[in-house]
Amino acid sequence: MDDFEVRFSGSGGQGLILSAKFLSAALVAEGFSVAQSQSYEPVSRGGLSRSDLVVSKGQAAFPLSRGLDYLLILDGAAAQASNDLLGKDSLVMVDSELVPEPPKGAFRVLNLPFAETARKLGNKRVANIVALSALVACSGICKLETLEQIVRGKTPPKFATLNLEAFEAGCALGVQGA
Amino acid sequence: MANRVNLQGNQACALGAIAAGCTFYGGYPITPSSEVAEAMARELPKVGGTFIQMEDEIASMGAVVGASMGGVKAMTATSGPGFSLKQENLGYACGAEIPCVIVNVMRGGPSTGMPTRPAQGDVMQARWGTHGDHPIIVLTPASVSECYTETIRAFDLTEQLRVPVIVLIDEVIGHLVETVDLDDLTPQTTVSRKFADTPVEGFEPYAVTEDMIPPFPRPGDGYRSHTTGLTHMPNGFPTQNPAKAEAALTRTTDKLVLHKDLIEFCQLIECAGADLVIVAIGISARAAEQAVRDLRGQGVNVGLFRPLTLWPFPETTLKAAVQGAKAVLVPEMNQGQMVLEVERLMAGDLPVHALNKIDGEAITPSEIAAKVKEVL
Amino acid sequence: MKDLEPETPFEINDYIRLEQMPHFLCPGCGHGIALRALLWAVHELQIDKDKLAVVSGIGCSGRLSAYIDANTFHTTHGRPLAFATGLALARPDLHVIVITGDGDSLAIGGNHLIHACRRNLNLTCMMLNNEIYGMTGGQVSPTTSSNRYTTTTPAGNTEPVFDACALASAAGASFVGREVTMQVTGLKNLMRGAIEHHGFSFVEVISDCTEIYGRKNDLGMSPEMMLSQKATMRPEAYRNTVDVPFRPNALECGVLTQKDRPEYGSAYREMTANLRAKGKQHG
Repeated sequence: MDDFEVRFSGSGGQGLILSAKFLSAALVAEGFSVAQSQSYEPVSRGGLSRSDLVVSKGQAAFPLSRGLDYLLILDGAAAQASNDLLGKDSLVMVDSELVPEPPKGAFRVLNLPFAETARKLGNKRVANIVALSALVACSGICKLETLEQIVRGKTPPKFATLNLEAFEAGCALGVQGA
Repeated sequence: MANRVNLQGNQACALGAIAAGCTFYGGYPITPSSEVAEAMARELPKVGGTFIQMEDEIASMGAVVGASMGGVKAMTATSGPGFSLKQENLGYACGAEIPCVIVNVMRGGPSTGMPTRPAQGDVMQARWGTHGDHPIIVLTPASVSECYTETIRAFDLTEQLRVPVIVLIDEVIGHLVETVDLDDLTPQTTVSRKFADTPVEGFEPYAVTEDMIPPFPRPGDGYRSHTTGLTHMPNGFPTQNPAKAEAALTRTTDKLVLHKDLIEFCQLIECAGADLVIVAIGISARAAEQAVRDLRGQGVNVGLFRPLTLWPFPETTLKAAVQGAKAVLVPEMNQGQMVLEVERLMAGDLPVHALNKIDGEAITPSEIAAKVKEVL
Repeated sequence: MKDLEPETPFEINDYIRLEQMPHFLCPGCGHGIALRALLWAVHELQIDKDKLAVVSGIGCSGRLSAYIDANTFHTTHGRPLAFATGLALARPDLHVIVITGDGDSLAIGGNHLIHACRRNLNLTCMMLNNEIYGMTGGQVSPTTSSNRYTTTTPAGNTEPVFDACALASAAGASFVGREVTMQVTGLKNLMRGAIEHHGFSFVEVISDCTEIYGRKNDLGMSPEMMLSQKATMRPEAYRNTVDVPFRPNALECGVLTQKDRPEYGSAYREMTANLRAKGKQHG
């Protein structure tokens, strides 16, 4: 696949933009060009938040999302916000606990326990990493080893173990989904 | 593929400034441009430069002009209300011919408007924001790599011509992160202003030279000249003599006409033989580029004219680009600003259509494509 | 600056642009005396004119820069301190002196003044206080005395005044002083101290606007105005003497504040030099 679009959506403070940055870096390492855009409300914490990746070989003409190939939803408030951008080939991954009413349509929806898995690892804030590696394991949009290297390289030492545990747990969830 | 990184548009403006030799930044925080200041606060100390966050937008523009009066390359960045506040001292720089670069990241307006949402409502303010007739140059990057290269070009132009240059981007481009290779984009040489080096005796700081660009007297070099925002004679001192006043004002605006070829820069995509030419800047130009690809795929003959130099508007190039076209379309995220200039240039020869959006969302390729089909 | 006293006596013509004469100040205006005192201090300190930068704002005070034989910048209304901040940071080799007025620095430029005081960048700010907007025809300013008539207080001024020196001192200026134009030598010495001070120095010069303010308020000609200003001042030498109760409202003059605080430009350059040294260590 040469061109595809990914959206991370949820609420501010969930670490979605960080997940998007990790995935961007991994995709660039694999030779893609990425356009990453954010949308957020004018508050520092909370509020709807999303980060989109438009991935291509060479610079995309239009850098914003037109049709999502992959959509990750980590907050119920964001559940229906992206419906206009979904098509029959889209893959939607939602948190089974935080998104009680996922979008319905001709596309595939996976309910996975990102938040619950993170809690079991001891820190609910790593749900973003669990979801990220689940997405990559399920979709194969980049090599898991590439992403792992990025997560290792960009995580501060005191969170290294936790983030890598989250990465592994997410991979396991994603493989089940695939 | 030497140094591919993901970089944000605002940060690219800052890195472009550093690459251009900028050593002074005077700023004030405002969404959505604050990342420019934050990047400069990190980068300037590394090159021995000075970053200062001033007490307000007015002061930050004053400090930038003050630093440039000292002979160094200087920049600031702002948005929305901040751009309004900067106009007074920006006008001073226009009048006294002090080089400086201002990055304006456009957000929804008027007033506080929509601070985190994109708009292109400052097209006319960038040209006419400060009072009185004045020369100014406005550049419009439409990608992260262009944020980098156009900021470098902004410094080259402001230094060479002694005219303030505005780098005008919208919030989408400012906050967009794209994969760029800075090694590929960094020029070998940059331009610095021409400093006065003639004998001190009889030196005139605003002398009428052949290129209409007076050499800059660097403080400390012995010229001891006077700089003022009052209309001034070649010797730098104020005048209200009608002939002298007119000559002084005319030179600063004629200067841009004389150096038109150096200043103007545009990109033409599929304009040859196009039935309709789209004129767009910033994120609207990116949408238009996608629309051109999509429409060409459907057999619709459409092209894109993208003025990277927005002001002075590349008149001759646009007139040439629309030869043979039946119509022009101007999509922009305002209620119709650039379209006024395009209408003026078309002078009734071609129908000029507008596509306007002011809801805080970017114009999409499909909206442009639909409009093209509607008017063709 | 050199340690030795200059060998030649002060001659004002060495420091002004004679081709700009005659100047535009009204007869009796105190601003010329202030300019002379400033240039006298520059002479005594043996500052190289090529290294002297004078930045002024708008108003009668703003016009003085054009008469000084130095690198001079006549900037926008209220903003000379902002311009000077950029200039002084970009060119720490220059002596930067700001000339401003009561309207320029206390009204439209008030924000820049308090932050310049707080920042303590090495600048000298000479504020000429004539209690009026003279250039625009005599409107009320933040220092116009109570009940005085101006074109915008036709029934007398009901607004309280700013004490500029108290303001500057409270905002953190590390050198603050005040003098009347009657005391030329005292003013010269005060300006000298201000220029020599490493940090932000603020000097208020009590000047007189005879033509507009004096006439409108029946304050007499320049000599009367100057004498009355001198009479209401409490000189430095008498600051704590027994006659305080007899002149309770008098403003003090001389050096009012002098303290050691880190100078902003040096502190910033030291910080960046350390950063670069660290960067080199880490390759």
